[in-house]
Amino acid sequence: MRVTDRRFALFLMAPAALFLAAFVLWPLIRFVSNAFYDISPIAGGPRTPVGLENFVNAFASASFQGASLRTIVYTVVVVALEFSLGLVVALIFASLGQRSAVFRTIFMYPLMIAPVVAGLLWRFLLIDNFGILNELLFRAGILQSPSQIGWLSDPNIALFSVALPDVWLTTSFITLVLFAGLQNIPGDVIEAARIDGARFPTLLFRVIIPLLRPVIAVALIVRGIDAARAFDIILIQTNGGPQESTTTLSLLIYRTMTRYGDIGLASAMGTIYLVGMLVVATVAIFAIWRPGDAR
Amino acid sequence: MNGIETRRLSTKVILWILLAAILVLYGFPFVYLLLTSFKTPSDAIAVPPSVLPNVWTLENYVTALAKDGVVPALINSVVTAVLSTLISLVLAVPAAYAVTRYRTPSGRVFVVAALVTRMVPTIAIGAPLVETMRTLGINDTSFALAIAHTTISLPLSIWLMASFFEAVPDELEEAAKVDGASRLGALWRVVLPVVSGGVAVTAIFAFLASWNEFLFALLLTSVRAQTTPIVIANFQTQFGLDWGAMTALAALYSIPVILLTLLLQRHIVAGLTLGAVKG
Repeated sequence: MRVTDRRFALFLMAPAALFLAAFVLWPLIRFVSNAFYDISPIAGGPRTPVGLENFVNAFASASFQGASLRTIVYTVVVVALEFSLGLVVALIFASLGQRSAVFRTIFMYPLMIAPVVAGLLWRFLLIDNFGILNELLFRAGILQSPSQIGWLSDPNIALFSVALPDVWLTTSFITLVLFAGLQNIPGDVIEAARIDGARFPTLLFRVIIPLLRPVIAVALIVRGIDAARAFDIILIQTNGGPQESTTTLSLLIYRTMTRYGDIGLASAMGTIYLVGMLVVATVAIFAIWRPGDAR
Repeated sequence: MNGIETRRLSTKVILWILLAAILVLYGFPFVYLLLTSFKTPSDAIAVPPSVLPNVWTLENYVTALAKDGVVPALINSVVTAVLSTLISLVLAVPAAYAVTRYRTPSGRVFVVAALVTRMVPTIAIGAPLVETMRTLGINDTSFALAIAHTTISLPLSIWLMASFFEAVPDELEEAAKVDGASRLGALWRVVLPVVSGGVAVTAIFAFLASWNEFLFALLLTSVRAQTTPIVIANFQTQFGLDWGAMTALAALYSIPVILLTLLLQRHIVAGLTLGAVKG
């Protein structure tokens, strides 16, 4: 390659690189460095270096441990439900062929809705006294009384209830990605398996899923990262309650920073969270995706 | 035709019924939101609730739009999203082009860095960004919020644009250069028109990312630049629990982007799946 070409490439990349450096990397460096200080919440207040104290306090705090566990549970529940439902719907669309095109479009609509609207809407559907979901279940004879299930007010189930709008909102993404992947599976591969007498479950687990592996990996990783960061969708439904039962890490960090004004501790929690996310994502990329693994 | 498509009629019938059931369940929440927005405010929270309005009325829409700050917030949302889309495209198009055409090592580092950005929790850069914007003297402006939103859309835009440039044959620019065009001229006049569809897809995603964003808007705006998601969230504290007006504003905010999506659905499906499938 000529040197001038390299210069030209740098010239084209520089604006975006500078932008990311100034508005992502620099704030991130500041955030991580804040974790090593005790910072007064008053603007311009003193910054005292405290070494690893914030990290020690974060790991020792019961609310941080609880929030970490809840973040993991929330992410696993959301991704597992989305993947199962998304795969089923993608397989139905693929089995029905071209005629299902219009319905694919309809199925996509929640993707465009703001998470804050989705959270609000589901809170309205699930709310104790005038929520329509309990009412419909009651009329169908499944519940004894329309207020039998306190979806968002029972601390034992609230974490699962707040996950519902997230599942509703983004299962379509998984379906679209898996559907596109299914289109790329050569017809004769499946035909050959059928001729060999493979029944549907065998076909699914032995042929289709292994072939979809890279696509599944991308879908799961992208959704896993987003679910672990979920903030507004939970905030608007429960604000982290009842009894902290839906306080995930992003809510806890936000609250530590804004309500308790402990910027140092919040930054330490955020740094641990970021490192954890990078480690899990990297492991996931190499474990399921296996880039470069026989295409 | 793909190999999975079924040929047996009985299977087809069962699958259609299953699909219809899933679609009804999937569509119900938003339909119920729409129906509620047309109820009277007291009907909206009646016990027991009903699916259909007893009386159809636009009262909730009138109430919502008349509330302090709602119309400015809608304008702010449009301004912020348009600004962020423009910044995102101006930065992403040349960068993605350079990454695909000149495979320099720095280019690869750049793509990985852009993807790692996606893993950074919003709160981690949101709080320091507030200080940066204050230093720059643009705190609580749509421009500052648009910059913050671009940190979300830029990595995605680079990824999307790179996959669109990937599909353009090298020969196209070579021919243009033989005809005497400069490298920048070849990009602007020859390559860009070919990928205009891809630019449109990227623009839609950048727009949506900003339109629906909440946490940056919460941290970076207070009065002047507040966007609609914040106002919708504030309905529950500031104005008591006015569910009727809240559903009306939520519907009003969602319908334009849903319609846009239905109109451009083919392009959007391409954009959503391209990056993922090509991986």
